Order: sequence, then C-alpha cells, then structure tokens
Amino acid sequence: MLWLVRSAVVIIYPRTPTLPGAADCGLDEFLKKFKRESPLLIWLGTVLGALVFHLTPLFTVYLPLPAFLLPAKLADRHAARITSTNVYLVRQSVFLVKLCAGLCWGAHPEVRKVFALPALPSDPGTWRTT
Amino acid sequence: MSHVAFREKGEDFEASFEFVVVGSGAGGAAAAATLSRAGRSVALVEAGAWREPDDYPHSAYGGMRDLMDEWGAQVTMGRALWPVVQARTVGGTTVINSAICVRTPDDIFTQWQAEHGIGDLRDAVLAAQDRLEVDLSVEEVPPKAWGRANLLAKQGEDVLKWADPHPMKRYARGCEGNGQCLQGCRAKKKQSVNLVFVPEVLTRGGSVVTCAPVDRVLFEGTKAVGVTGRFVHPARRTKGARFTLRASKAVVIAASVTHSPVILMRSGLKLPALGKYFRAHPGTGVFGVYDEPVDMNVGATQGWASTAFRVNPGLKLETLAIPPELVASRLSGGGVQLMERLAQYRHITMWCHAVRAESTGRVSKSLFGTPQVHYTLDRADMERFRQGMVLLARQHFAAGAKRIIPGIAGMPYELTPDQVGLLDDAPLDPQKYIAILSHLFGGCVMGKDERTSVTDGNGRVHGVQNLVVADGSVIPTNLGVNPQHTIMALAQVFAERLV
Repeated sequence: MLWLVRSAVVIIYPRTPTLPGAADCGLDEFLKKFKRESPLLIWLGTVLGALVFHLTPLFTVYLPLPAFLLPAKLADRHAARITSTNVYLVRQSVFLVKLCAGLCWGAHPEVRKVFALPALPSDPGTWRTT
Repeated sequence: MSHVAFREKGEDFEASFEFVVVGSGAGGAAAAATLSRAGRSVALVEAGAWREPDDYPHSAYGGMRDLMDEWGAQVTMGRALWPVVQARTVGGTTVINSAICVRTPDDIFTQWQAEHGIGDLRDAVLAAQDRLEVDLSVEEVPPKAWGRANLLAKQGEDVLKWADPHPMKRYARGCEGNGQCLQGCRAKKKQSVNLVFVPEVLTRGGSVVTCAPVDRVLFEGTKAVGVTGRFVHPARRTKGARFTLRASKAVVIAASVTHSPVILMRSGLKLPALGKYFRAHPGTGVFGVYDEPVDMNVGATQGWASTAFRVNPGLKLETLAIPPELVASRLSGGGVQLMERLAQYRHITMWCHAVRAESTGRVSKSLFGTPQVHYTLDRADMERFRQGMVLLARQHFAAGAKRIIPGIAGMPYELTPDQVGLLDDAPLDPQKYIAILSHLFGGCVMGKDERTSVTDGNGRVHGVQNLVVADGSVIPTNLGVNPQHTIMALAQVFAERLV
C-alpha cells in the first residue's frame, strides 16, 4: 500500500529545476508516519486515491496501463489531467493523495528554503499530563 | 484535584461538582470562567488534549494531527464534500483561528426577536462583549504585524473605496506577525481561551478534565445530573478508563455545533428540532499573482478583513495566509505543471470570502455515533459565493495583481484583468469549488417554540431540567461575521443566568 501511494505522489510532485520533488523530501519516512498516525479512514482514502490515480490513464492518456508503468512524459500528462478531471469523485480521491503529499513536501526544509521560509522544527507531539 | 488527563482502563474516575461544562472552546471556557468567578464548583471537560504553546505543532501536518477534530477531515454530506473545520483541544477552535473579534451586529438581535421570540439578549450580550474585549486584550493589528499580503488587501480596499462598518480587531496582544495562527500562536500573543479562561478556572478552584470525550448526559427522570464517557489517548487514540462527572446544579454543553447536538442525541433526547437548522459561512479563496514577492506567510495570518458586504450581497472578506503544505494541494494540477505553479509561491497571496449563506442543513448521528453534517448550498447562496469571488478578484487587481487564480474546476487556471468578466458566468455547482465551512451555527437552536428550537433564550434545553447549551449550536441565524465574540458573550450570559 505504501508503494502504491508513494508511486502516485512521486508522479504528482516531480523534481524540477527550481523545486525538489516529493521523493527528495523524506517521503518514505513521512508516509510510514502518516499511515501509523492518521485515522484508518483517512489512510484508506489516501490508498483509494492512489489506486484511482494508477487505474485511470486509459481516460487521460488513452493507454490501458497503470500510471506506474507509463513512460515519464505520459505519466506527467496523466497527473496533470487526472487532477483536474471533471469527474468530481475522481478529482476528490486524487486530491486526498495530493493533500497528504503536500503536507510532506511543503514542510521540507529544502522547499521552504526556496520560498525564503525558515526550516520548521519538529512537532513536539506533547501535551499537558498534570 | 485540578487537572485530570488520560487514564488507562481500570482507573475509572468519578467526581462531583455543581456545574459540569462540556467543551473548553469559546463557549465552554467562557461559561466555566463566569461560573468560577461566581464561586461555583466547576469541572471543564474537553475531548482533546491540553497543549500549552510549547506543545503546539510547527507544521500543518502537526496541526491536523494534534489540534483538529478528526484531523480536519470531516466533510459535508451533500452535493460537494466540503471540510468542516473545528479544533479538538483545550481552547477549542480559538487555538487555531485567527482571533478575529466582531461584535454581534444589531440586526441579529432584531432578527432573533422577530423570528425566534428571543427578546432580552441584546444588552446583556453587548455588556459581556465589553468585558470580553478587556479580558482578551482586543486590539487592532499593529503595523509591525501587517506583512505585505495584508497591506496589499488594504490597498485594494482603499482603491475600491469599500467602507467597512466594523474595522478589524483581534483577540491578540502585541501580535508579531509570525503567521502561525492556524497552528496555534507559540508566541502567546493570540489570546485563545486556553491561555485566559481555562487557567482562570483552575486558579479559582475549578477542575479541568482532558482527553475526555463525553459520550452522553446522565439523567435522573428529566433532570440532567452529570456526564459520562471514556478517556481517549491523544496519540494512540485508544480508549481508556470511564469517567463520570456529576453535576448538582447543571450540565452545560458547549462541545461545538457538530458535537453538541450529537451528544444530546446519544443521551436519548428526542426534540423535533435537534440537529436541524445547521448553518455556516462557506468560503473559498482567490489567489492574486504579483510581480514582486508577497511572502504571504510573513505577517498576521489574517490581518485584514472587511464586513462591507455583510448585508448586501451577504459576504465577509478576509486575507488568509496558508503555508506551502496547503498551497501544494490547493493549486490545481499535477506533475511538472503543478510544480511550475508552486514555483510562484512567493508571488501569490490568498484572500477569501465567507458567505452569509441562508441554506440550512442538519447534523445527524452516524452509525458510529459520530457527527455527520448534511449541507448543500442553494442557488442563491452559490450566486453570493460567485459574487464574492468577483469582489476578491477586483480587489487583487486594484492592489496591483497581474493575474488571479480562481481555482474553479473547468475554468482557466489564471485570469488576467481583462478576463475577470468570465467569473460572472462561473458555474454555480458546488462541486466546481474547493471550499470549507469555517463558522458554524445551529443544531441546538434557541427559540420560543419547542417545535422549532432546542433551547430557550437562556440556553436551557426544552423539556428537561438543569441542561444548558452554550456554544454556536444555539445561534439560530447566520451572523455574517466571525462568531467567536457572539458565542463567548452568549455563553457568559447563559452562565450568569445560572448562578
């Protein structure tokens, strides 16, 4: 399941000359943490979104292949088209994957550096017990 | 006993008080502080954990995990799946909002009187708001905290000559413009109620019980006598010991617009209006793209707002700085196209609207006993929604934006000033928009008629004794302004009338 989500995220947030891609931003550790910490329904929704992403190239680039088997250029075109499809539930499913990965990508020090923002310290995850 | 947090199974917890207040957000904390000031014995019960500013997360991920109810993933059931944003922590949504303080407009009291038979709240609410503005150090945004995004919004407003009858103030003392309102203000400048009222309850001898979602209200006959539930671990989310808190005088429910009605449903109340008349301020944002960097995350998260359009067409406009984590999913597209759009981050800034929507929905109990919100905007509200986007677009262009990003599915990604007319014909289908419901009302609305309301004008639930609702769920109309000030004032008035 992690692999399914990861492969969708890497296509949606690729590395470009100006910005690091999701794969450069500690994605594997983040996904493990996300799976461990998020409510089950949110994780399942993200997996479902990734599944929808991989199974729909037939409708975007007209090839009966899962997205992870597409050549890079076609995978990129699929990402652009499926994230703005007119089919609402498909768009929303993929949006969940985008949201999850955006939380990882946007908080990474390298990305924040490009945007002239200071690096974020780690979240304490603590609370008052007494 | 002062603060009781999570307890493991087998360590059941029971205690008795005069008043038990469920929910430590704007309504609950304000009510509990008022009861404590009157020398009453009070327990304040909160479903979430108590996080001090040093415990606040830094990232948006941490904010969703540590501070939001259901990770911010609760969505409306209806034509579109729009998130219903609320917090679950001591201090409630006051921890994650931008602390905007607007007095209850006069026409609201008139409407409550005419449509709901509630006629004696105006003077008491306004007096409470006077006191709240002192308690919570209300002030205008200081110049050092403006940041370019808010200054541009002001500039656009000036060019368009919008007259705002309620200049913006916030519950913030010496804001430094860290742009961290949504993750909790670690600088302790925002006066969220967890920093003011909750400690006051403790100081005055009250108790705070956290990680303690209330399952139901306990009754003896028709008299509310306490609440019960099971502790839930804030990280593991596993259930712990049972807690039972008895109240000799009253139980005050202030668990939020979605949770309060559902607690009453789980408690077996069968009032015809329970869960009905849910209302909200649905809203969305329009990005402006500027030649020079705007750096929207520098400066107050929401340092500019306008109520100029509250009455006609029924809109509130605000700036809203969101971090790269959220912009990443908010901008449409995927692949290299998305990354090229994200590369503009420093040059974009988002301003949003909140629609004073007349559509109503309902809150129901799901199969799991959790709240479900059923809500869809009607055509008239969608027209307002679209009008708001036109206003924001014009404001961006008046401020010097070169293009705007409306974020409407099926429309061009960007519009130039000469294309802004396209927005007049933008679709009215809610599915075409990425929106959220931020300010929530109803579900336990107050009124004179027991068939159409859940409580009377003092928040007392019809047909039972010693049970009061004191949060946004009692508000029977859409305010058209940020509701925190009204919620806190109503809660304090209801609490004053209990003692």
